Amino acid sequence: MLETLSYMGQGFLNALTPLTLLLMAGGTAIGILIGCLPGLSAAMGVALLLPMTFTMSPESGLIVLGAIYCGAIFGGSISAILIHTPGTPASAATAIEGYQLTLQGKAGKALAVACFSSFCGGLLSCISLYFFAPLLAQLAMKFGSPEYFWLSIFGLTIIAGVASKSLLKGLISGALGLLLSTIGMDPIEGAQRFMFGQASLYEGINTTCALIGLFSMSQVLILAEKKIRQRAKANKFHDRIALSGKEIRRITPTILRSWIIGNLVGILPGAGASIACFLGYNTSRQFSKHKEEFGKGSIEGVAGSEAANNAVTGGSLIPMLTLGIPGESVTAVLMGGLIIQGLQPGPELFTRYAPMTYTFFAGFVLTQFLMLGIGLLGCRGFAQIARLSDAILIPSVAVLCVVGSFAIHKNFVDVVIMMVFGILGYLVRKFDLNPAAIVLALILGPIGEKGLRRSLLLSGGNPAILFSTPVCWVLIALCVFGVCSPILMNRMERKVMAASGGDASEEDTLPPRTSE
Amino acid sequence: MKKTDIGVVAFMYAVCAFFFIASRSMKKEAQIYPVCIIILLFLLTTGYVVKMLLDAKRQGVTSGLGEIFAGFQAKQFFVILGLLIVYLAGIYFVGFYLSTVVLMLASLLFLRVPLWQILISVVVVLGLVYGAFVLFLNVSLPVGLLFK
Repeated sequence: MLETLSYMGQGFLNALTPLTLLLMAGGTAIGILIGCLPGLSAAMGVALLLPMTFTMSPESGLIVLGAIYCGAIFGGSISAILIHTPGTPASAATAIEGYQLTLQGKAGKALAVACFSSFCGGLLSCISLYFFAPLLAQLAMKFGSPEYFWLSIFGLTIIAGVASKSLLKGLISGALGLLLSTIGMDPIEGAQRFMFGQASLYEGINTTCALIGLFSMSQVLILAEKKIRQRAKANKFHDRIALSGKEIRRITPTILRSWIIGNLVGILPGAGASIACFLGYNTSRQFSKHKEEFGKGSIEGVAGSEAANNAVTGGSLIPMLTLGIPGESVTAVLMGGLIIQGLQPGPELFTRYAPMTYTFFAGFVLTQFLMLGIGLLGCRGFAQIARLSDAILIPSVAVLCVVGSFAIHKNFVDVVIMMVFGILGYLVRKFDLNPAAIVLALILGPIGEKGLRRSLLLSGGNPAILFSTPVCWVLIALCVFGVCSPILMNRMERKVMAASGGDASEEDTLPPRTSE
Repeated sequence: MKKTDIGVVAFMYAVCAFFFIASRSMKKEAQIYPVCIIILLFLLTTGYVVKMLLDAKRQGVTSGLGEIFAGFQAKQFFVILGLLIVYLAGIYFVGFYLSTVVLMLASLLFLRVPLWQILISVVVVLGLVYGAFVLFLNVSLPVGLLFK
């Protein structure tokens, strides 16, 4: 306990250096910018800026990526409130009440509520990150090869969870990703697999290139196929971006409820901020003493949605950092960032690399304060940038994709791989397959393969070793749950959407859940 | 059932066949795991074919193309895709900076962006790349075969 407290304190000392604070502020501002631009998503932003963190220390790199993540989730609310277009799916529910407030000339109030609630949601989510992550990591320390095999299978069943429409198509996407993950050297035999004479494929497909291609370049192609339209002008507002003590007291219970909801949704693999925002919004309506305001501009509605989606951020890091299971696309990209730094998610992050991990946690806490400051001060500016045309975004993002993938190994083959994955990602999204599932399989495939083959080596080829411990059976049960949960989750999402006044057509106009 | 799904399953079967044939030349011990994954992909795809057939029986067959490509701007899309492919080839032969300027100018002019916005965009993107990647990350960007 004392050791943990000392790591926590040391983490804050490490994170409070001027350079780290500057990087944090930069990451948060970039995240807000990406979030408030409709068409760009948090996963895309984190993937695009991943190569920028290569030369940084692991903790600084992770802090920057975490800051982009938090900033993007909050940034979506700016365009949702001012131009009635959620920047990310995570702010879809915010648009309902936020835009109504804007129409009443209370845009400043709506933005202040969104900013304050996002700050509280994010900050409170750090509590669970600090206390649950080490506990789960202790459990993971008891895992051997068979457990790691089942753990990766559990992670892969999440694919079914992130599959947007069809469970089978989600699983097919996962199997395709698994197959692509076998490219490179065999981990046990040392034989070449599907390398086709390319030495650059020795270590397999570069995950970062695949991430940039699947999330960022595919988005360029998605933007390129649509008619370029001038975005609606952001409504001008003259009221102060501030909250009174009475208003803070009024939204506090809503924020606390949404924090619990968002955190649980974040920890649950397969669920994401887009579900949390509607759950938070709906719960705020249920418990509100001013139900008549809902649909006409309720600050509680904005607070419920925004606190919940930002509470997801801390929660979603828990399974990724402790078990190596990214529950959704943004954490899959963040895990890619961790692996690039030479770190393997799992219990070691809380033992051998504990100083680095706790510095990242401290950075995550400090990011929330910076998000509050930058958000409150920069709302008006970000609102203007949110109008940036897709016509400018298309070539600009494409150039950044190319430079980003080239910077990894200073190798042109990586650029070609990124482009191939970009086209694959575009087709995958068009035909209802799932890019997040491919990424999860690319990351988890080698872990599962090593776990399986090491287990079989240890047992002399006897598969009974895979069922030899109670933990294995718990993980098998979780795998079954992982396959069944999306069916329940989809039903719940539809119910919540219907109860919140959203309809299918509205859902269709939003970016897919997986691209949060 | 959507007719477009036929293309999806055909693609998946083609992937299975391609990787299966490629796996034949591998060491036997190294073959086992990839072949298991190929079988898994094959089974899942076949499962989807069964689902498609059941859907066709229950709900009939629809094209699906209209739904998937609603609002699709064919000319715009293929010009941009073509420009991106030419851009990659350009980087290889004439280097990053020249190709980037050409890509930005060509695509922004094609997308009818006002001239002043084009100039600002080109300067900002090149400045950003130079500052972040060349100065900060020390990445030397490709100069191209012609200028080597």
